[in-house]
Amino acid sequence: MADRSAATLSTGSRFQVSKGLLTVLVSTAVLFALSAALAPTSVAPGTLSGMLPFAAILAIVGLGQMLVIQQAGIDLSVAGSVSLAAVIVTVYPTGDNSRLVPALLMAFGVSLATGLLNGVLIGFIKLNPIIATLGTNSLLYGLVMAISQGIPRQTTSRLQSIVTSATFGIPNTVYFALATLLIVILFLRKTVAGRRFESIGASPAVASISGLRVRTHLGLAYVWGQLLYTLAGVLIAGVISSPNGSMGDAYLLPSVAVVVLGGTSLLGGRGLPTATVIAAVFLSQLDQFVLALGVNFAVRTLVQAAALAIGVAIYTVDWSRVRAVLNKLLSANSRGQNQASLPSA
Amino acid sequence: MAQSASKTVVMELRGISKNYSGVAALTDVSLQIKAGEVHALLGENGAGKSTLMNVASGTVAPSSGDLVIHGERYDALTPALANQLGIAIVHQHPAVLKDLTVLENLQVALPSSIFKGRPADKVGVELLERVGLKISLKLRVEDLTIAQKHLLEIAKALATSPKILVLDEPTAALGQDSVELLFQLVANEIASGTAVIYITHRLAEVRELADIVTVLRDGHLMATSDIGKITDAELLAQIIGRELKSAFPSKHTVAEGAKPNLVVTGLSGNGFNDVSIEAYPGQIIGIAGVVGNGQSEFLKALSGQAEFTGSIEINGQKKSAHSLNGKAALMPADRQREGVMMRMSVRENSALASLKKFKNFGLLSRRKEVTSVHDTLTSLSIKAPGLEAPVSALSGGNQQKVVMARALLSNPVMILADEPTQGVDVGARSELYEILRQASADGIPVVVASSDAKELEGLCDTVYVLSRGQVVKTLRDGENREEAMIEAAVTSTTKVIRVERQQREQRMANETFFVKFRRFLRGDYAPPAMLALVMVALSALIMTKTDSYFSDFNMNSILLLVSALGFVAIGQTTVMMTGGIDLSTGPLVGFLVVIASFFINDDAPFTAIMMGLVTMALVAVLVGLANSALIRFVKFTAIAATLTTYIAIGGFAFLLRPQPDGYISQAISDVLNSAIGPIPYVFIALIVATVAMEYLLRKSRWGWQLRAVGSNEEAARKVGVRTTRSIIGAYVISSLFVFLGSLLLMVQLGIGDASQGVTYTLTGITAVVLGGTSLMGGRGTYIGTFMGSILLIQVLNATVFLDLDQTWQYLLQAILILVAAVVYSTARNRKASKKNS
Repeated sequence: MADRSAATLSTGSRFQVSKGLLTVLVSTAVLFALSAALAPTSVAPGTLSGMLPFAAILAIVGLGQMLVIQQAGIDLSVAGSVSLAAVIVTVYPTGDNSRLVPALLMAFGVSLATGLLNGVLIGFIKLNPIIATLGTNSLLYGLVMAISQGIPRQTTSRLQSIVTSATFGIPNTVYFALATLLIVILFLRKTVAGRRFESIGASPAVASISGLRVRTHLGLAYVWGQLLYTLAGVLIAGVISSPNGSMGDAYLLPSVAVVVLGGTSLLGGRGLPTATVIAAVFLSQLDQFVLALGVNFAVRTLVQAAALAIGVAIYTVDWSRVRAVLNKLLSANSRGQNQASLPSA
Repeated sequence: MAQSASKTVVMELRGISKNYSGVAALTDVSLQIKAGEVHALLGENGAGKSTLMNVASGTVAPSSGDLVIHGERYDALTPALANQLGIAIVHQHPAVLKDLTVLENLQVALPSSIFKGRPADKVGVELLERVGLKISLKLRVEDLTIAQKHLLEIAKALATSPKILVLDEPTAALGQDSVELLFQLVANEIASGTAVIYITHRLAEVRELADIVTVLRDGHLMATSDIGKITDAELLAQIIGRELKSAFPSKHTVAEGAKPNLVVTGLSGNGFNDVSIEAYPGQIIGIAGVVGNGQSEFLKALSGQAEFTGSIEINGQKKSAHSLNGKAALMPADRQREGVMMRMSVRENSALASLKKFKNFGLLSRRKEVTSVHDTLTSLSIKAPGLEAPVSALSGGNQQKVVMARALLSNPVMILADEPTQGVDVGARSELYEILRQASADGIPVVVASSDAKELEGLCDTVYVLSRGQVVKTLRDGENREEAMIEAAVTSTTKVIRVERQQREQRMANETFFVKFRRFLRGDYAPPAMLALVMVALSALIMTKTDSYFSDFNMNSILLLVSALGFVAIGQTTVMMTGGIDLSTGPLVGFLVVIASFFINDDAPFTAIMMGLVTMALVAVLVGLANSALIRFVKFTAIAATLTTYIAIGGFAFLLRPQPDGYISQAISDVLNSAIGPIPYVFIALIVATVAMEYLLRKSRWGWQLRAVGSNEEAARKVGVRTTRSIIGAYVISSLFVFLGSLLLMVQLGIGDASQGVTYTLTGITAVVLGGTSLMGGRGTYIGTFMGSILLIQVLNATVFLDLDQTWQYLLQAILILVAAVVYSTARNRKASKKNS
């Protein structure tokens, strides 16, 4: 009996390719092919090395947002957090390399505190994530103003050289993004806490019946998110020589968009980190491609909206039902034609 | 009460079948319902009684068969059509809306003709008096006890003077006096010629009420008989009558001198009272009874996930709830929701409770995990495509084996199985029995709750029969025959144990000022009142610093800003009332100004200006339709849908105006800016709009339906609300208010600028949140949103007068949002926790 069942129960392969990953991989490949064919300048080495740092930063922000979204939350404090990190690491040292490390510690300390605040408000006081993170976002912008007084400062030369230089021909920001991705994957798939975290996102009801600490993990999602936004903010400070206090605004909507495009549901569930990162590359390259085609900002925005709509519809629409309805319509049509042709026969 | 042939047939169900994804819930059931008769439907859980009645009341469409009502033939009904045909149903789980008041629940569910010509509260009081419900009409339904909700449900059904009244287990939650009153009401209805269909588990009630009795078993109709011509024994035989389909493992004989390994003494908690059980090593304990008599709650308490008093001892050790949680494995009855994570793999589901066992140098070892999970699943002879297959691809029986594997892998101190074989095929059932037997033989106490008495007879050594939360019978091995259990369950006359709570609620009826004040604090109008206090305090503070604050100029400019924000926020409030969110309001307000900049210019003729306004309104309606179509028909979440339109609208705006251009007509600006004293007319318009919307929200069918959808979409559908139409309407209304707001933004900007407006999304949401409207839907006020808009603008303006920099603008906003959210949420949670206790 055991033998028979053993035969039916394969252990499966070690690596699984999700529908989200597959979709976004294929789309990205198609996009690059289109870029090469229609707008070769958009895949020129110079353009790519200009695009990649921003794609990498978006990927890191997206990974943070993903950890929150997979717990059926959403984090609007992305904007404030990224801006604050960029401001702290430029204003505090104001060009003095020796003060860079304390500045980094400060930035991550603040982000830890912000994450805990969000986590307590949402996990334990049960505030709606939109409201809570809207509030903390204002708080963070208050700090941005208090620290910078609205005046951008020059990035320290050390941060700038670390972030902007390339290793083996690839911008260092890409390595940061890949390292982040690796850590997130390791956490989600290889640690007890991460596996529990993922299960809680998939079903808080099951997790709670199994005795897991649902509220704690839910709250911690916002802490992990904050740490990643802060990393992104620091990298921005390196890439842009004197970041102003609203750098983060540009990352709020795209951070949600890449998560959704990567196939992670806004209703919570499994997070797809690799797909999220590739979606970030996709969105950035889409921008480059449309730019190289010479169309204006408006069309670029519309293309983004269309990409998002199609990207979400792939997951939400029950395509087997659509096919069934279409088949029905088609067969009804052909029947109608048959009937129309009957009298003449 | 003999059946008379002369009585007219009012409803006939002909050959009704219903399949749920291939599983038959009903097979070819035909039934005739006659005026002036009580027709009882009997049968075990899952026999198909409720499904049949859902077909009769229009909430479920049959897979085949049809209905004849008053001589007309129908393939299927809808809830609204059933209402029109005079069919009223009292659902087993009351279709009441928790965020609406008692009166509003009546108003949204009943046709307006019932309230015609008389004050609504008078009608409401009368309706409640009929069912003996003495509560304030203004009480929110979530504050009602379960019995009170049932009575409200009955009051709704009786109010329409139905031709056909369906009662689905109406007495399950009622106290004795209410049951008697209900029987009296049913008798009255019968006397006036109504046909009554009465679903129940209790033979005593059938004897007392019914003329005709029909028994269903496994979706098949067994027999329809005259109540006078059938004995209890015959009925029981029809209800049960199933031969023993599954093979059961042999039972355990307690060894001489063995000590019990599980002793539960005097356990009480929510839903059960003073339950004592005892198990010896190797024994399986059964908990019998009709579903919903406290079995699940009892198991939850044993698993440490619910509060209890009394004691639980395992192997002589006393256990607290905390020490049981996560250690005692619970296999929940609702497997789909609480048992398995549908989209996760078989491996992830199985390993969930035992992850720590698979660690290797701090990280999880895939090899360890796979080996362990594979071994356990193989020993349970699971049939699955593979370890990495999603659990949703498995049959019910194999899903249950995954739950079982999770329990076994976690080395539990006790196994609690709630309906372990529901939806499991026969073959897998006997395997599950074997597994439970094996676990029990290994010395783990095993407690099984099941509504299938046959199963408990075959599987368990000792069976406790629960009725209304109390043990009414203990059946040792040899006595635990199926008949004995069903008899004990269906003939029990225990009273509901919620008496104490009812009395406590009654006491609330004698309201003191303090009680009223507390209710106000939890009510909808507390947030705007609090905001008013903050506004007065803030104004007073500013007055000490400057005297130009109340100058006409400053007042005027504040109120103009408030007006633009206020209209946008009113739109947002409408959407949030349905439980949605509209992120596109900000870009839309800017986009409409861009459109205006092409029409409403200084030298434009009157017709052009009119065309401009019409175009703006049309575009607004289109955006509302696009948002709601994405949500309802393409199944986007509200955030994803309105985020998509958010980005798209921005694109269109820049398409039309790559650079700011198109100066807005000065004449129009002057009109919109005109004021009496410091108060602009548009602000007065905002007040009028707020009051009008508030009135509609509270007093019109539109408002009740809107909040009903946000409160509980499923229940709203059951009481006849067209949910999709309500939601589409909400998004369109939201966009139209954005249009009004855009007229004011247009004046402020004076030029078509595609980059403007987006901030209105978040400020709008902030104003709504400050006003106390819940993002969960169902509750909130327009007045609150109005006050929230004023306070927000006031705070931003105040920083100027108080010599505070931009830092403070942000900080004050943050403090406002967070403090408001925490205050409102704790006020509401206090109520919730009170209810749970």
